[in-house]
Amino acid sequence: MPRLHARYAVPLMVSAVALLAGMAPAISAPLDLKLGALLESTGPLSELGPPAEKAIKLSAEAATKAAAAAGVPATVSMVAADSQGDPQAALSAARTLVDRGAACIIGPATTPESIAVLNGLTMQKKVTLWPTATSTRLRTVKDDGTIFRTVPPDDLQAKALVLAMDKYIGKGKSVSIAYRNEPYGDALSKSFVQAWTADGGKILADVSFDPQQATFDSEADQVMADKPDAVVVIDYPETFAKIGAALVRTGTFDAKKLFLTDAMSFAKVPDSIPAQAIDGAHGVAAGAPTNSAPYKDFNALWDKAGGVANTSLTSNMFDAGILCFLASVEAGSTDPGAIRDKIRTVTTDGAPQFSLDNLADAVKLAASAKPLDYVGASGKLSFAPNGDSTSSIYDVFQYQGGKQVTVDQVDVH
Amino acid sequence: MNLDFWISVAVLAGIYGVFTLGLQLNAGLTGILNFGQAGFMAIGAYAYGLLVVNAQWNPWAAVAAAVLAAVAAALLVGLSSLRLRTDYFAIATIAFAEMVRYTLQNAQFSGGNQGVLGYDTAWRGFADAVSSRLSQADFGGHSQLPLLVLVWAVFVVLIIVLTLLERTPWGRILKALREDEDAVSALGKNALSYKLQSLAISAAIAAVAGVFVALNITYLYPSVFDPNFTFFGYAMLVIGGLGSFAGTALGGLLFWALLEGTRFVDLALSAGQQASLRFILVGVALIVLNRVRPQGLLGDRAGMVAGR
Amino acid sequence: MPGSDDTAPRADLDGARLIASPALRLAALMLLIYTALIALFGPIPATQATLNGLVSGTYLGLGAIGLTLVFGILHLVNFAQGDLLMAGAYATILTAGIGVPPPLAALAGVVATALLALVTEKLVWRPLRRSGAGTLQVFLTAIGLAMVIRFSVQFVAGSQVRSLGADVVSTVGLGGLRLGLMQVLALVIGLVVMAGVGLMLRLTRLGKSMRAFSDNAALAEVSGIDTGRIVDLTWLVSGSLAGVAGILYAAAIGTINPNFGVTLLLSLFAAAVLGGIGNAYGALAGGLVIGLAQDWSTLFVNARWKPAVGFAILIVTLLFMPQGIFGQARRRS
Repeated sequence: MPRLHARYAVPLMVSAVALLAGMAPAISAPLDLKLGALLESTGPLSELGPPAEKAIKLSAEAATKAAAAAGVPATVSMVAADSQGDPQAALSAARTLVDRGAACIIGPATTPESIAVLNGLTMQKKVTLWPTATSTRLRTVKDDGTIFRTVPPDDLQAKALVLAMDKYIGKGKSVSIAYRNEPYGDALSKSFVQAWTADGGKILADVSFDPQQATFDSEADQVMADKPDAVVVIDYPETFAKIGAALVRTGTFDAKKLFLTDAMSFAKVPDSIPAQAIDGAHGVAAGAPTNSAPYKDFNALWDKAGGVANTSLTSNMFDAGILCFLASVEAGSTDPGAIRDKIRTVTTDGAPQFSLDNLADAVKLAASAKPLDYVGASGKLSFAPNGDSTSSIYDVFQYQGGKQVTVDQVDVH
Repeated sequence: MNLDFWISVAVLAGIYGVFTLGLQLNAGLTGILNFGQAGFMAIGAYAYGLLVVNAQWNPWAAVAAAVLAAVAAALLVGLSSLRLRTDYFAIATIAFAEMVRYTLQNAQFSGGNQGVLGYDTAWRGFADAVSSRLSQADFGGHSQLPLLVLVWAVFVVLIIVLTLLERTPWGRILKALREDEDAVSALGKNALSYKLQSLAISAAIAAVAGVFVALNITYLYPSVFDPNFTFFGYAMLVIGGLGSFAGTALGGLLFWALLEGTRFVDLALSAGQQASLRFILVGVALIVLNRVRPQGLLGDRAGMVAGR
Repeated sequence: MPGSDDTAPRADLDGARLIASPALRLAALMLLIYTALIALFGPIPATQATLNGLVSGTYLGLGAIGLTLVFGILHLVNFAQGDLLMAGAYATILTAGIGVPPPLAALAGVVATALLALVTEKLVWRPLRRSGAGTLQVFLTAIGLAMVIRFSVQFVAGSQVRSLGADVVSTVGLGGLRLGLMQVLALVIGLVVMAGVGLMLRLTRLGKSMRAFSDNAALAEVSGIDTGRIVDLTWLVSGSLAGVAGILYAAAIGTINPNFGVTLLLSLFAAAVLGGIGNAYGALAGGLVIGLAQDWSTLFVNARWKPAVGFAILIVTLLFMPQGIFGQARRRS
């Protein structure tokens, strides 16, 4: 979409000009920054572990490379621990990360783990926590400004989904919804159902499924039973293959009437997902245009590194690592509290914009303690006072021939 | 090494040590294989959390109600299932614990997938006051210290009480049940009644441990009560020693030190592989220990016959 | 023998004659419920839910049969069975990944799982039996073994999802009813395998020896049966069955990760116990009862209750039939 590139092109030029003015790095002691990766390596969500690990590791590598190119004495590395999908284990794991010098903690994937880590550790130590949990519950807890989310909160996303569906199937239609029976699917589905019915739409079947099951055919039959005008599925790509195939087997399912959420946003459809289950499906994702230049750079980085295939939300975790790094350079320190206080300085609206391809220039500017605006692989980033992502621009994407294509944008404000 | 980390490991050892005392009473003393302990713990924790948050109960009253709720569940489970064979009873109790977990996840009253939050205001106010006093006394800001003291105080008291109970005639009947149920029945004792008492006390203890878990994680969520934790409890039991309540403390400390301490093993592996290795280690430890020293470190050989 | 005791029911390995009456009663009950469902929800939804239940029931039965054999013959509660299934699926996926044609890879997977089961016997179970361990020690050893298998696979293959890449969307239709092609395949293979095991136990010499061993190990030994060989063969059979089940699951479901065995395990236990431990047909019947109950339940309540329904059925059945469906028959006859 030409429009999208235009969104970044002008600010990027501005930033280049700003750099010509030449700013000397002002960092005295070399920075040795450690990114703490709180991973779902084992436990019920262990399928999310390997891609998250790779994303954070890539951000450490990209940051170190940019620092070297900028002539700023900084090295960034990753320390990792297993949250086991369990709040108590997550807290323990987070402690080992802080113990090993982590200045930020990226993860965990669920709200219960995030709250246990926040209350037990990170709030007290002023360590910023970057969960990929999307529940609005994280917005209301007392966090002393330590929680930042590069993933969109449920309520905004639900509104974006409603706007997209208004456009592609029309207002007031009847919709069936199926979602993972865990905090993410549960909370987002409630937000959606509320937003959709408030908009005059009808909900036919409301089915929550246990993603670990062996068969999903009865669930799929229920979803399709009353011939819905559209189907909403809230799931991760790792498990969507199962419910997706079951939907296709009902014989009445049409992927063109399927709507997905940001956890199902990825550049290339994984091999395990049957084409009939997803080709033609629409979805929304917050400012995460997978055909934007920063995302493409990130995806190229991912492919070059080898290992696990790319999936959803990896760019959000990658961006968290980069933001932590830039804030650290900005503060001239790896002190967690100092980093926390600079996160907004590196996401300042109106400041010179940078992204992955000119990260070294961003590092130079940060080293001179000037504000900047890092445009992430997951899109433009800015944070509300409660740490929520404020991006109100959502991309509407569609899967066409196994590739994700951005077809529209909606503004939820 | 960070003191805060080891304090939190000791908190876990204490909480699950209390939890395991119940298993010790059941499996080590009475010879009942209760594999539903995580379910009783969940009932205790949720009863406490929900009564404080939704009904604004006094926390102490809520703890009492939590214990009663778990006891009621134990009587229900025991009356219906204690007649089953040892191994069938074990499987039936796992099924019970899983039903509890799914109910908490799916029902409205329990907060479902969104869990329960905000029941610990009074406790956290108290704990923060204590730890700020401590830091004034130059003892760092170890926020978990008050919970550590509370948990271990209760743990030690329970160990003493249970050890004394074991020596009463009542305790001797439980042991006799473990050795030969028919002989006990022949003496005119109601075997089922004694087994029920054993199970009910165990569930009450699990409920106390559940309240501690609630205080520790500050957010109640069903997966915290996965059957895995019952398995962990049995691992602690076997490490410490069958039939030895004091051994439970040792088992708790060793198990959690092993499980959490292995987080510091830093090999040139991916995080996923390192995480796998930790659990391979736990698995191997379980296999080897059961083979080499089936009665555990502080256990007596007699305790071994559990469930034969 | 771990866990062996005189109060345990003798493993009911014989099939046809003994099951006749409870099987008929069970079938009648299921038919009755099915008819009621047709009246309530109409023929198509009721029949489709029943078909779905038959598929999940066969999955469960097939997975439970190896479990029930080891439980029945060796009196050993094998918590590692779910992870054996998973190991079989992974062996196949990894073999196919290096370019081996799928049928050969599947064969390799089955053989590898059988050998893995045999290795656990030699390294873990035989020494444990000789040490005279009780039920608790057996339980814990099995749990430890399950962890070792699961996390060894994860160590090698990672925890990301894997796929066998089978065609999971093609269907076979009849009127308004549909079933996935892979599901039909799993159903047919599952039923054939289960019938085969049942017949093997009843008709072959090996089967008879296994039954004799199950009834009384000491007596079997005295009467000249090579008991060591029987135990080894039991593990090989149980391991191959786990391999077959794991591969069929992986093919028909679509994606798996190393957790898939352990999440399945409790349902497999439920099926085995429900059917009556040690009975090959019982595993099938138990699996079908649970599968049908779960899929039928979705007609009444939200699908999120499906897993809980399985456990509820198990508890209720044990309350009324403490020996499981077919164990009851044995006691009465």
